Amino acid sequence: MGDLTAGMTAADWCTAVLLPLGALFSLVGTIGVVRFPTLLGRMHAATKPDTVGLVLLLVGAAFQLPDIGSAAPLALVALFQLVTVPVLAQTLGRVAYSRGEVDPDHLVVDELADAIAAADDRELPPGRTP
Amino acid sequence: MSTSIAERSLHRRVIGRLPTILWLTAMWVILWGDPSPGTVIAGFGVACGCYAVAKLPHIPVPLRIRPLWLLRLIGYFGLDLLVSSAQVALLVLWRPTRTRGAIVAVPTRTGSDFLLAMMSGGLSLVTGSLVIELNREHGVVYLHGIPVDSAEDAAKLRTQVQRTEELFVRAFGTAADVAEFEAAQRALERRTAEAADGAPKEAP
Repeated sequence: MGDLTAGMTAADWCTAVLLPLGALFSLVGTIGVVRFPTLLGRMHAATKPDTVGLVLLLVGAAFQLPDIGSAAPLALVALFQLVTVPVLAQTLGRVAYSRGEVDPDHLVVDELADAIAAADDRELPPGRTP
Repeated sequence: MSTSIAERSLHRRVIGRLPTILWLTAMWVILWGDPSPGTVIAGFGVACGCYAVAKLPHIPVPLRIRPLWLLRLIGYFGLDLLVSSAQVALLVLWRPTRTRGAIVAVPTRTGSDFLLAMMSGGLSLVTGSLVIELNREHGVVYLHGIPVDSAEDAAKLRTQVQRTEELFVRAFGTAADVAEFEAAQRALERRTAEAADGAPKEAP
């Protein structure tokens, strides 16, 4: 242990903590995609822990870079991850919902279904039957 | 007369497109990792070329940034992201098949397209939630949250969502957006109070 950590700087320690932690979050996110029973649950697992895992990995990697200029592209990676992941999650979530790929057994309440039912009752388009 | 209008519209077109061009140039420079004049000029040229080829529209972005609220938003957002992913991670490892969620409706209090877009993007990352549907007309956002096991959990999720919305509006909204938000907030509080005072009746 002593020999191994003798030459380590503070930056090395940060990397040594952040990289495994980030990898762990990514791993758990991937396990979640397999283990959650519903599509919406899987979307949760695919978005949140994966994003945190990637950001931790990037920060850990940034500590090993010589200057801030070479770390800047990593910030871009994180930014685009944060901007694009919700779009994907929302698109999939919405498509899944409108195709009925939602298991009511795993929902405590579904206020969207209630609202759709209420809207159907209220206004039927003229010339159409339910 | 006609030349002055043409000049003014040209002026406005250039000013309106400038932020995007600057951002594209900045990205180019960051990716090359070399802020020398040659790189900047090349990046500017490529950005202008992209604009011309893709015919990107000029969208006025009515946003105002308040630094203090922005810092609060980033702090809250970062913490919330960590907490909610740790929570999801825990659920993954601890009996994921028994995890139950809920789709709740949360009334939004802002009408700005940009703020709604930013907010729903943010919400999908935090507070264990996933935006499913956004009803612009009625100002309601429907989102799926886990883990929700009771009505209290659903109420807690709703409070968190409204807190996130308030931070987004206060960090990025223009004065008009904030005023609209506060008016909607008062109306909502009044309605809630009336509902609590009156006989317990079904929501319309």
